[in-house]
Amino acid sequence: MSIVAAVFVIVGSLLTMIGGIGVVRFNDLMSRVHAAAKAPTLGLLLVAIGAAIEIGSSKAVVTLLLVVVLQLFTSPVATHVLARASYGQVSIELDGGDDLAQHFAAESGEAAAAEEAKLAEKRAEQSRSQGDD
Amino acid sequence: MIFVAFVFLSVAAGCFLYRLLRGPSTSDRVVALDGVLSVVVSGVIVAAAKANSDVILVTVLVVSLVGFVGTVALGRFIERQGG
Repeated sequence: MSIVAAVFVIVGSLLTMIGGIGVVRFNDLMSRVHAAAKAPTLGLLLVAIGAAIEIGSSKAVVTLLLVVVLQLFTSPVATHVLARASYGQVSIELDGGDDLAQHFAAESGEAAAAEEAKLAEKRAEQSRSQGDD
Repeated sequence: MIFVAFVFLSVAAGCFLYRLLRGPSTSDRVVALDGVLSVVVSGVIVAAAKANSDVILVTVLVVSLVGFVGTVALGRFIERQGG
């Protein structure tokens, strides 16, 4: 195996291992998600570059490119879906304000206001039609 | 030399499996499962590089897509059932 390819493959594996250590050592779900999402993705990218250099056939390069692009698209989506689903289900220590809770409060406030406006409009329409009669 | 990469990947798989067994919540287990699949993907690519052949690389595509669909499905499950 050529030196360049071996270096890429080994550094990529090292990054995957760092992600694994982070998942064990961090003591909070969001930190674990953070460790498990990013480091292995970059590790996979480097491993794929190393394998593409080593194998060198066009079929291998195209397949590895497809794998890397798919991983770069799907990994953030999957992580976001998971983190979003666990919000409110798992207790999380925050070091600042809860921005998502504020967002939800604002959203539900807006929805309530819209509902109120709709009701008022309906009432006004009813009284108008009764006035016509 | 490629032996070192397999050692690193084994340690990573051990870490993720520890979290998969221990994880206090379902979300931790799903994160760990995603990590295990990521390690499997990297391992198959390293094995292909070691064998210098592109025959098994199609497996990688399938495994990575199964991992994505599984994580999203489990995320929906957690959203409904609670972590």
